[in-house]
Amino acid sequence: MTRVQLLDVTKRYGSTLAVDNVSADISDGEFVTLLGPSGCGKTTTLRMVAGLVDLTAGQIKFDGQVINNVPPHRRNIGLAFQSHALFPHLSVARNIAFGLEVKGTSKQEIQHRVAEMLDMIELSQHAERMPAQLSGGQQQRVALARMLATDPRVLLFDEPLSALDRNLRDTLKYSILDLQRRTGKTAIYVTHDQSEAFAISDRIFVMNEGRIEQTGTQLDIYLRPRTEFVAGFVGDNNAIRGEVVGVVGGAPGEPGLVDVRAGGMRLRGLDPGNVRVGDKVLAFVRPENIEVILDGEPAEEPNLVRGRIDQIVFEGPTVRLIVDAGGVPIRATSGGIGRLSLLAQEQRNVVLRLQEITVVRDDPAIAA
Amino acid sequence: MASLAAPAGTLRPRFPNISLKRLGDALAHGYVWVWLVIFALPFLATLAYSLRTADGVWTLSAYQYVLGSFKENLLLSLQTTVLTIIINLIIAIPAAYAIVRHPLPGKSFILSALNLSLYTPAAVMGVSLVIAYAFLFRIPQTMIGLIAAYVVGTFPLMLVPVIVALRDLPLVFEEAARTLGATRMQTFWRVEIPLLGPGISAGILLTFVIIFNEFLVTLFIAGPSTTTAALRVYNLTRTAGFQPSTAALATTMQLISFVVVLLFFRLFGSRYLKGTYLI
Repeated sequence: MTRVQLLDVTKRYGSTLAVDNVSADISDGEFVTLLGPSGCGKTTTLRMVAGLVDLTAGQIKFDGQVINNVPPHRRNIGLAFQSHALFPHLSVARNIAFGLEVKGTSKQEIQHRVAEMLDMIELSQHAERMPAQLSGGQQQRVALARMLATDPRVLLFDEPLSALDRNLRDTLKYSILDLQRRTGKTAIYVTHDQSEAFAISDRIFVMNEGRIEQTGTQLDIYLRPRTEFVAGFVGDNNAIRGEVVGVVGGAPGEPGLVDVRAGGMRLRGLDPGNVRVGDKVLAFVRPENIEVILDGEPAEEPNLVRGRIDQIVFEGPTVRLIVDAGGVPIRATSGGIGRLSLLAQEQRNVVLRLQEITVVRDDPAIAA
Repeated sequence: MASLAAPAGTLRPRFPNISLKRLGDALAHGYVWVWLVIFALPFLATLAYSLRTADGVWTLSAYQYVLGSFKENLLLSLQTTVLTIIINLIIAIPAAYAIVRHPLPGKSFILSALNLSLYTPAAVMGVSLVIAYAFLFRIPQTMIGLIAAYVVGTFPLMLVPVIVALRDLPLVFEEAARTLGATRMQTFWRVEIPLLGPGISAGILLTFVIIFNEFLVTLFIAGPSTTTAALRVYNLTRTAGFQPSTAALATTMQLISFVVVLLFFRLFGSRYLKGTYLI
């Protein structure tokens, strides 16, 4: 129904740049998540879309129309807040009816719509309760019903689940996704919780220091991080500094590979497309993608690394190890029944098999 | 059951702590009540005086004057009080928004300056007003003059609770209302005013209690046609000595104030009166 475009959107508070030249094109019906640490500008970006914060520069468009100067009450959006923000002086039913009342909808239609919404969130029996009499999960459901009652064109979510406990978060995030899928509305969701972002988004925008670091699907973001920040923020990653020693072309239509030398290690990872032999690079490998071979023979193929176990922590379903690979500490996680054989093996020499390695340019200008 | 009762018995201390605590509570309560009675004595004396004739007969007859010749004074008091409260509201609510929601240079200085009238001795204020009215505005001895004086003297009492309430009100409710389609005005009337209600009521209560009973400033600026109930009590005492009818008027004023305060505590509690002189 609505395509949302951000064109070079910038917000400056005094001398602080909160949002720095952010551009995004969100198609109709898409579920997009802005993911990043606190203070990265994701909430400010969302609030600019909602009209609660003015832009310093740039444009925001709904269906091609610039809405920079449209006040929030005329944007026809729905915004879910971190605190549910239910009006404490109004009953559940009156809260849901609020948006319809201020738009002058007829009494009959309001009644009909409120009943429909209460039915959807399965709280019909609590229509006359006050918000304070509901549980946290119920409050957030009423807040969702209130925001959907006016049939907004864009749904905005500002960390709506972060104040709830974990079980409730898991249930509600799928309710939110379900609502969005059923209504087919464009949605922008802000969170610092990557599992939330992975579970519900069509596309993820990873933000850091006011800029978008990387845009892509869950798999893109998780498997092919393009910056050191993304590699470190999304999941856990070993970052190994090295130098490109060879570029291996891939099969047609597939990304090529690069060979990287880092100390005594030879690593082969995905070619980021912008490196040449001799360039300084960072190779990323996730702890869960490292296989620990206790009695492995040193082999001369890439991605096999010799090391000595420094530390072992039993965490129940997984065992975490720190392996000293020629002076470079590498974190590995081992699961399954095989993890038990690793216990009490400190100081033992092992071979690590590193898999799913991504490579990015080690650009000090970007790193700084 | 017996086995459960036995250890409970052995746990009982030799000195019954419970009754010691009760004794302490009783003493504390008694202490408070003694002082309450001492404070209430003047009122009780006035009440008794208003109910007795010179011959020692108990009667309500003095109260006929309250609805008779004193009615005018009581009505004037109520009228000036209500009008002052309305003007105070019109001044204080926008002022509170300006102070809380907007960056104002010298905010704390402005706040202290606004509260200046609370620290000004009433006699000083009375004299200043007489001078100002007589030479500047030419409104001596009118109801407008009276109300203007009350507004100057009491609007900080309205302002402070509204500021406290507004500071306590998170912006998120306004933002929620705006994104749900409410205009600035709809948000103000449907969300902000109800949520500021307790603070505003606290301001109304403070203004009411002060103005309804105001005497000293009134003494300076009231004229023959603007004799408030409090001033009438004073005039009567000066000219006619102590009459049961005067005591009846005084008792009525006291009761009105008392009922208003009780109603307020019933409806809103004392939260927004913290930091004001009433609590």
